[in-house]
Amino acid sequence: MSQNAEKVIDHFELFRGPEYTGMLENKKCMFENPVPAEELERVSEWTKSDEYRKINFARAALTINPAKACQPLGAVFAALGFEGTLPFVHGSQGCVAYYRSHFSRHFKEPTSAVSSSMTEDAAVFGGLKNMIDGLANCYTLYKPKMIAVSTTCMAEVIGDDLNAFIKNSKEAGSVPETLDVPFAHTPAFVGSHVTGYDNSLKGIIEHFWDGKAGTAPKLERKPNGKLNFIGGFDGYTVGNMREIKRLFDLMGIEYTILGDNSDVWDTPGDGEFRMYDGGTTLEDAANAVHAKATISMQEFCTEKTLELIENKGQEVVAFNHPVGVEGTDRFLLEVSRLTGKSIPTAITKERGRLVDAIADSSAHIHGKKFALYGDPDLTLGLAAFLLELGAEPTHILSTNGGKAWQEKAEALLASSPFGKNCHVYAGKDLWHMRSLLFTEPVDFLIGNTYGKFLERDTKTPLIRLGFPIFDRHHHHRYPVWGYQGGLNVLVTILDKIFDQMDQTTNDVAKNDYSFDIIR
Amino acid sequence: MNQRGKKLQQVFEEPACATNQAKPSQERKKGCNRQLAPGAAAGGCAFDGAKITLQPITDVAHLIHGPIACEGNSWDSRGARSSGPQLYRTSFTTNMNEQDIIFGGEKHLYKAIKEIVEKYDPPAVFVYQTCVPSMIGDDLEAVCKAASKKLCKPVIPINVPGFVGSKNLGNKLAGEALLEYVIGTEEPEVTTPYDINIIGEYNLSGELWQVKPLLDELGVRILSCISGDAKYHEVARSHRARAAMMVCSKAMINVARKMEERYGIPFFEGSFYGIGDMSEALRSIAQLLVGRGAPAELLDRTEVVIRREESRAWQRIAPYRERLAGKRVLLFTGGVKSWSVVAALQEAGMVITGTSVKKSTPADKDRIKELVKEDAHMFDDLKPREMYKMLKEAQADIMLSGGRTQFVALKAKMPWLDINQERHHAYAGYEGMVALVHEIDKALSNPMWELVRNPAPWESAAGMEALSIQIA
Repeated sequence: MSQNAEKVIDHFELFRGPEYTGMLENKKCMFENPVPAEELERVSEWTKSDEYRKINFARAALTINPAKACQPLGAVFAALGFEGTLPFVHGSQGCVAYYRSHFSRHFKEPTSAVSSSMTEDAAVFGGLKNMIDGLANCYTLYKPKMIAVSTTCMAEVIGDDLNAFIKNSKEAGSVPETLDVPFAHTPAFVGSHVTGYDNSLKGIIEHFWDGKAGTAPKLERKPNGKLNFIGGFDGYTVGNMREIKRLFDLMGIEYTILGDNSDVWDTPGDGEFRMYDGGTTLEDAANAVHAKATISMQEFCTEKTLELIENKGQEVVAFNHPVGVEGTDRFLLEVSRLTGKSIPTAITKERGRLVDAIADSSAHIHGKKFALYGDPDLTLGLAAFLLELGAEPTHILSTNGGKAWQEKAEALLASSPFGKNCHVYAGKDLWHMRSLLFTEPVDFLIGNTYGKFLERDTKTPLIRLGFPIFDRHHHHRYPVWGYQGGLNVLVTILDKIFDQMDQTTNDVAKNDYSFDIIR
Repeated sequence: MNQRGKKLQQVFEEPACATNQAKPSQERKKGCNRQLAPGAAAGGCAFDGAKITLQPITDVAHLIHGPIACEGNSWDSRGARSSGPQLYRTSFTTNMNEQDIIFGGEKHLYKAIKEIVEKYDPPAVFVYQTCVPSMIGDDLEAVCKAASKKLCKPVIPINVPGFVGSKNLGNKLAGEALLEYVIGTEEPEVTTPYDINIIGEYNLSGELWQVKPLLDELGVRILSCISGDAKYHEVARSHRARAAMMVCSKAMINVARKMEERYGIPFFEGSFYGIGDMSEALRSIAQLLVGRGAPAELLDRTEVVIRREESRAWQRIAPYRERLAGKRVLLFTGGVKSWSVVAALQEAGMVITGTSVKKSTPADKDRIKELVKEDAHMFDDLKPREMYKMLKEAQADIMLSGGRTQFVALKAKMPWLDINQERHHAYAGYEGMVALVHEIDKALSNPMWELVRNPAPWESAAGMEALSIQIA
């Protein structure tokens, strides 16, 4: 059936029409030399076997469906958390187009970043000219207050020296001498987006605190009672940052958020395009050196940054993306200890409400088996929450998790009877996860949007928690931190459990005796 | 005296109901349910009681005559399972409006019945009277009678406006309606010496199905279960059963007794909860059937099944006994469950610290006494505050109760397990006992109780210490 102007149908239905199915079938038979259906079935079944799992885990060179992204993606994330800042990625423009679309697909907001658009001649002769022209153009076109430079692989492979290049650019007059142009080398062939976040944030902080690449005197730290807060690379940054600010305000704390993306990725639909919105002011970023202490919510996103801050004489405390009652308890207690401010009744009540919600419905989660993958800190935070709920994490996998992460995850699992049958997989990918789900099935899978392929293949229902989430909208606007955030995660998990119950009991006159109104 | 008044009187004088018979005749006339104290929390009304009793009949259209309140708040709220028809879960109501109340709702009701018959053609329509049409004088019986005749379809009046009394009274009135209009109106195609009725079993969470395979194995046929997973014609033909088991002692005692009186069907009171009770139930069924002429070898076959099933159940419970032994349980439920569950929990090594006997008969109470030995363990009416106090003072490790009291347990930070109608697990038979023990074990081992029991760490020194160790 071709399109009818009365009722134009979309791709869901259109290509199911006989002329299209016939066309595709015809092409397959005549030109694709397909394997017989039985052979296809045999191989498909074989990929689900223990035998295949062994081969899969012996894989040495090939990565299939990695659950991680590259350093500059994290660098762009960190840069966008500062007031009026344009992320400038020195390298090829294709990479930068990816970062912009990646973030826009997750946050449903435009994301601004530019590149020096290096081409073949730049790769041969070095990218200095691209840097000089690029900084001049983006400064003139987009009027940023700060340009945060990071790199793609291309610039890193030829070894462009950002420090010298920026100096040369300023000397060539492409941007004013006084413009803040922090930088960080962020090759994708090292680490992942969490590493890039760390490098970029460290670059920005170092720029302000350590004399702006030799153009200003280093700041002398005069300790005050303030607290610095770093969220890390976080798909829930919009909701989380607002929640953290609310909690800090309730406690009456003086704080500086280092890297606040909550406004730039949540601009109002009022007809005005905001290329820049909110973010940590440059003044605050500089003054953050005087703070008493710095808290990072994600240890593995801020390893080098915290080292820098600690060396300035501040106390630093790192968490692993705390989710749930105990995680939030520990976070707030540290905040309280560092600032000397007590935790007000209003927050204690929020805690009680989360505990109440857990008590009301945890029987549905208790004893269920979960597979979990994602960034190192997120998986630790979620695993701790699952243990708290009596769920049994069974596979925890992080493509960008290393040995330190693995040890931390194993220690966490050892601390609870619900973690005893769980295995931790550092550096593995989602094709490994596929084998795990077939050979040691679980009740639910927690992961990002890419988990939907695993859900389709293994029929393990996917609970979307992580980054990126492209195929469900707006969850990034809700926090997963704080007690309120714990409640959101609890509800997200429960919704899937109940949906699953409904979907497995709705076959009329077969199993709908359990298709219940009350769950 | 109108029809409903007569019916009420009959129910109040129900000879098999020991509670009624214990009362002086004057008091008996007032009704078998205590007048509720205005202003105090109370349970459901007679309409609710009748509806939950009959709604498990799966192929019938249940039409609620009244404003949206009655059906709107109760639509499909019980997990009575059906092996086939789903019509009983479709919500039918006359949804009375102001005009109906001014001019009367009878025509509206008739049209509604007609529309059901035209659209769904169910084997019968059950029509429930509620407060408002009753107060304005809609004649339910007359409308149903006219509709039956015109539409050639059984249209059964269930005259249970909420104001006549309690939920329990509604259960009995529902039974009366079955006796008057349904039971004995059709004949089964074949009968066997092994036909039984199970009365007062609602197949909640599929509990009847947990038991049925054993009856099937013994060759015992459930001619009719009233009303779990029942179909209209089965109930209509139930008078040809050879014996009956009465499951919930107070809800439909009148049905069992009158069926004995009218059709000579002997019955016993039994329970599917607990290993011992389940065996006893099978044994009693076999004995009654043999007493009515079934071959005596049924008794031997029954014993074989009992031996096998008991040992299988024990084997599966044994691993839990170790973990549950000595755990103290507070039971807060009604009627027959108060004693039948006591026995079951004791089998799992648990200690009963208390049980409510609010809806239990003296016979129920005697059985409990026999089981728990001490009178002090029985509460006639445990008010939420006292319940809270008991739990708070940790006189129990877990409370087993219905959904309405769960929040008391949670506020008292006490593990809790639902064993009333809104539960999600089936606990009947040998299978069910393994499931119950598993669920109790699960409830007790749920780590959330730690969260619930402990205050925020900044509110207790111990909490701070524990956390500081973990942080370090």
